[in-house]
Amino acid sequence: MAFTQLVGSRVRRVEDPRFLVGKATYVDDIRFPDTLHLAFVRSTRAHARLGRIDLDGARQAPGVHGIFTGADIAAALKPIGKPYHEKVFPPSVCHQPKWPCLATDKVRYVGEGIVAVLAESRYLAEDAAELVDLEYEDLSVVMDAEEALKPGAPLIHEEFDSNMMVHVTGGGGDVDAAFRDAAVVVRERFYTNRHMGCALEGRATLAKFDAEGDITLWSSNQMPHMLRTRIADIMGFPEHKLRVIAPDVGGGFGPKAFVYPEDVLTCYFARLMKRPVRWTEDRREHLLATFHAKEDIIECEMSFTADGTVRGMRAKIVQDLGAYCADPWPSPFEGLQLAATLEGPYKFQGYAYEVSTAWTNKMTSAAYRGVGHVPGVYVQEHMMDLAARRLGMDPIALRMKNMIRPEEFPYVTLTGLNYDSGSSTDALKKAADILGYESFRREQLEARSQGRYIGVGVSTYIEMTVFGTKFMASAGVDHGNHDSAIVRMDPGGGVTLLVGTLSHGQGHQTTFAQLAADELGIRMEDIKLVQGDTQATPYGWGTGASRSAVVGGGAVVQAARKVKEKILRIAGKMLEVSPADLELVSGKAQVKGAPTRAVAIKEVARMATFSPGRLPAGEEPGLEATCYYDPPAFTFANATHIATVEVDIETGKVKILRYVVVEDCGKIINPVIVEGQITGGVAQGLGTALYEHLLYDEHGQMLTGSFMDYLVPTCTEVPNVEFGHIETLTPLTVGGVKGMGEGGAIAPPGAIANAVADALAPFDVKFTELPLTPNRVWDTIRKAREKKSNPDVSHASTSAT
Amino acid sequence: MSDKHTIKVRVNGIAYERDVESRLLLGDFLRENLNLTGTHFGCEHGVCGACTVLLNGQSIRSCLMFAVQADGCEITTVEGLGDPDHMHPLQQSFWDNHGLQCGFCTAGMLMTAFDLIRNYSLETEDDIRLGLSGNICRCTGYQNIVTAVREAVKTLRAKPIA
Repeated sequence: MAFTQLVGSRVRRVEDPRFLVGKATYVDDIRFPDTLHLAFVRSTRAHARLGRIDLDGARQAPGVHGIFTGADIAAALKPIGKPYHEKVFPPSVCHQPKWPCLATDKVRYVGEGIVAVLAESRYLAEDAAELVDLEYEDLSVVMDAEEALKPGAPLIHEEFDSNMMVHVTGGGGDVDAAFRDAAVVVRERFYTNRHMGCALEGRATLAKFDAEGDITLWSSNQMPHMLRTRIADIMGFPEHKLRVIAPDVGGGFGPKAFVYPEDVLTCYFARLMKRPVRWTEDRREHLLATFHAKEDIIECEMSFTADGTVRGMRAKIVQDLGAYCADPWPSPFEGLQLAATLEGPYKFQGYAYEVSTAWTNKMTSAAYRGVGHVPGVYVQEHMMDLAARRLGMDPIALRMKNMIRPEEFPYVTLTGLNYDSGSSTDALKKAADILGYESFRREQLEARSQGRYIGVGVSTYIEMTVFGTKFMASAGVDHGNHDSAIVRMDPGGGVTLLVGTLSHGQGHQTTFAQLAADELGIRMEDIKLVQGDTQATPYGWGTGASRSAVVGGGAVVQAARKVKEKILRIAGKMLEVSPADLELVSGKAQVKGAPTRAVAIKEVARMATFSPGRLPAGEEPGLEATCYYDPPAFTFANATHIATVEVDIETGKVKILRYVVVEDCGKIINPVIVEGQITGGVAQGLGTALYEHLLYDEHGQMLTGSFMDYLVPTCTEVPNVEFGHIETLTPLTVGGVKGMGEGGAIAPPGAIANAVADALAPFDVKFTELPLTPNRVWDTIRKAREKKSNPDVSHASTSAT
Repeated sequence: MSDKHTIKVRVNGIAYERDVESRLLLGDFLRENLNLTGTHFGCEHGVCGACTVLLNGQSIRSCLMFAVQADGCEITTVEGLGDPDHMHPLQQSFWDNHGLQCGFCTAGMLMTAFDLIRNYSLETEDDIRLGLSGNICRCTGYQNIVTAVREAVKTLRAKPIA
């Protein structure tokens, strides 16, 4: 009986049972006797010198086994930092700060770790932590990135002469010509909200030191090999004696793709105390001290001809880095990527950008789904709608006029991005068709006449996926980004896949099995995935940056192909035919066109291990192959989101009526997984657009320190997503697959800002700050009404949060 | 100075007698004392719902209750709902409808959904969404979870939702 073609099919996930019955293993689920629990005394000041630290009371507390300050560990542990290669970003151009694992002379954000307490339980460790007495000498606090860059601003890293980490300019084409004699110039200043990935499982660590002097670390992390390499460096510990395991991980989204002080300290204390040590953060710690993201100020101008052809763009970006720099993916990534991708799917003649990245006394910003893209697409797409309004054009018509056409791919942008393939115009058209755009416009007129405000917003983008090593090198990041797979067939014909990626919700146990099963002609039930253990798996770069299907999947397929070819060679000898005449189908190696002449793959596997003497001359025993795969710098995916909303003008509340996504991620391995990723991304994007904002007061105290104030969308805030799929295979990857994991989160802020502004068209408003809280929407309407009734009075813009 | 109290609870049908401190959270009691790690903490302040279990048949947040308050009570955790060979229709429906990704919210979702289906009328999809709005999921965007619950309602009640 023939097996179905699995790649491209809607296959139910094989990994689900353990999660459904409560038998998954997250870091905090693992138990060892004699474990010590780590708790931290964290800074209550945003910017201060550390004075006397009084540990006497804490040392006396019950169950305490050790208390450590920054001074105690400074000699043993390097600070975290220096992710940029000095050849690409020399010290004269880029300031790379040091982030000590425990603060020594100074604290730079509320939540920064100062003292580590080890006790017999988390409860006792926190009791002791409360007894630690600290003296702070307060310093002036810097809470605004633009203020931070002004001469005379208090210096956050005093070894440098400013709060600027790196300043970059770039672009291409002739931007001055593109603005000369422009019929319409749209110029706006945008602010995007500080928010964060906020996985439901917080960070957690557990380390053991064994009799051989080896350390094993379990960490809720997206990239175990990265973590091993970084910790080994920071601790000065031999990497081959450090094993890092990421078991089941309860969500990542970017913030868990880094090395943190807690990872290093857990290992260090396990070795020092010769007992297992664990740390599990609570939500307050998470909101304070797990990487934030995406707070940018973007001043953007775009020029158009009278008939709506886009000509030029200038962008000035100030990124709020927070207090340090993330490692190994440097925090300025956000601003730099924003600038590099701002052209989106449109054809510009000239573009110039300037990016400044500034330290402030907030938690450090790093990566969260759609780095740079989320703010960039919001700006790009809202500018397009504002331009359409000025030009008197339909927003979709304006986009169609300026988008890269199918026959124009591959297309190189002014910033040098090589869009290998894409379907921007087709995706936009298809999304508009699914929505019934013309019909909605009629409905809108009808609603307006009844005093209801409904609107439609488009957001269309091209997304960087994969980030191969060639890109990393050009970006000055001192790390690779290949991946790897071992495909190993046992004598029973079963297959183990050992991979360097790290599925934490993306379903690789299923999708990689689909790929290998199709390649080897076996069943999914015959395949087992091993990931997340640096002792077992080949070196890889985990999961993030929309890479795994391409790089991980690509490595799996290529390794599986090597095994397949060996099976065919062996079967060819057994059947006395040329391997070229054989195919692997439904568990057999059979002659093409004469399927009864066949040998079971299991037979081949058995022979390869038990009777290697009977293999073709020159073949090694066993059936195993490894592939290390360095993918292209990028492959580019695209999508269009269209949202329709209703706005209550009395309360500012936005209700989403419909949400359409047409996406193109090349060859789809499993549509169920793809749709799940998009829907989850949309939920996060709607959080960015409407609800989530990490707020600090003027003293640097966090105001949104719990889920009561930091509003993650729930079931009632997220609509059902209507899908359309296009598959434009890329010539650059194995099977034509592109990345897509981040995409769903990228478009919603643009779609919502556009839809709300469109709904409120009679008021002629714009939304240049996120999130669109009811207060902001209501206040915007109020100001527009006042302006209408008092057109001569100046209306200063105030920021409504 | 610790204060210990002896409590008796039935968890997933099994009787336990343990000495606990007054301040020990019920969720910590389940995870640490009874080694039932299927119930998770996502916030420890009662918003995210990951820690939801059933107490005397009602869904409660085990981060907002102390173990001593559960003395004499019947508790059901996700481990008591079903196992891989005998899944509860809810668990089966979540599986069939891709109602989970990272799995961290899943135990809480299942226990809340169990309560919803047993104790509320759930006429429309909006009713389901409202009922689940006390459980945060960061991965799925909820759509498949809602479908999973709809399908389970059909199975368990033989009455389709509008």
